[in-house]
Amino acid sequence: MWKLLFIMLTLLAAPALGAQSGEQLSTEQRRILSLENAWNQAVQQRDARALKMLLAPDLIDVEYDGTMMDKTQYLASVQSPAGQPLRMVNESMAVRLYGAVAVVNGVYREDGVKNGKPYTIHERFTDTWIQRGDSWVCVASESTLIPR
Amino acid sequence: MRTILSVVILVCSVAAFASAQDTGVAAARSNILALENAWDQAQEHGDAKALSAIFDNALIFVDYDGKLLTKAEYLARVKSNDTHMQQIVAEQMSVQMFGGTAIVVGTYRVKGVGNGSPYLRRGRFTDTWVLTDGHWICVAAATTPILH
Repeated sequence: MWKLLFIMLTLLAAPALGAQSGEQLSTEQRRILSLENAWNQAVQQRDARALKMLLAPDLIDVEYDGTMMDKTQYLASVQSPAGQPLRMVNESMAVRLYGAVAVVNGVYREDGVKNGKPYTIHERFTDTWIQRGDSWVCVASESTLIPR
Repeated sequence: MRTILSVVILVCSVAAFASAQDTGVAAARSNILALENAWDQAQEHGDAKALSAIFDNALIFVDYDGKLLTKAEYLARVKSNDTHMQQIVAEQMSVQMFGGTAIVVGTYRVKGVGNGSPYLRRGRFTDTWVLTDGHWICVAAATTPILH
């Protein structure tokens, strides 16, 4: 219940964290950037219910190592006990709108523990969102590692 | 009798409409795959003009090393061939249609020579295409090395 409430509040929040600067954002752009941040929160809290709301049934996810997953596989990976992200931050994001389609490009950092060892991932992501009715859902996501 | 005739006409109309839609989707898929292949050809031949026609002006391309390129930067690189690509082969591609939006996910292999040494790379890409004024244009592209 609290998690759902958090997502609702995130969606209503006007200023989106890590948002593009230097230009006025439309309501829809702000909404999409808030959804991106809600996604991180849901992963960190392993909240499959919230993720199901954010991701399209036909989601295609390409991870930083080239692994491709559908929605079911992605949700299972979030629930996996092997890794535990402790901190997930979208350092920068920019969203472009094409009618009922939005493309978000951003830089993301994740710190956590995997198989007992600490790790840090720094990657660039490209997410495509589609408007379905009043909601936006992510249909494609690809991440690419940024070398240190 | 009239009722039966009306039902038959309705069923036939729905079937014809569904069939026309399927044909439209199949044609769009085929069109997009042709554009993907044209992209590879144009890149191999350093044909920036051909690429310019299929890219949105606000295109963002994320390269396999996490570097972000605008359309102008991408086209300049194709012209100069500073990546020294000799052959690009799309190994497999699938297209998912979302109305006037298409997501292409595929794997590719690139052969080239860099710093005097030959290289061979394999990666996975996600391209987002949007139907604009009757034409499909690519608005976002991301590539990720396949690490295993």
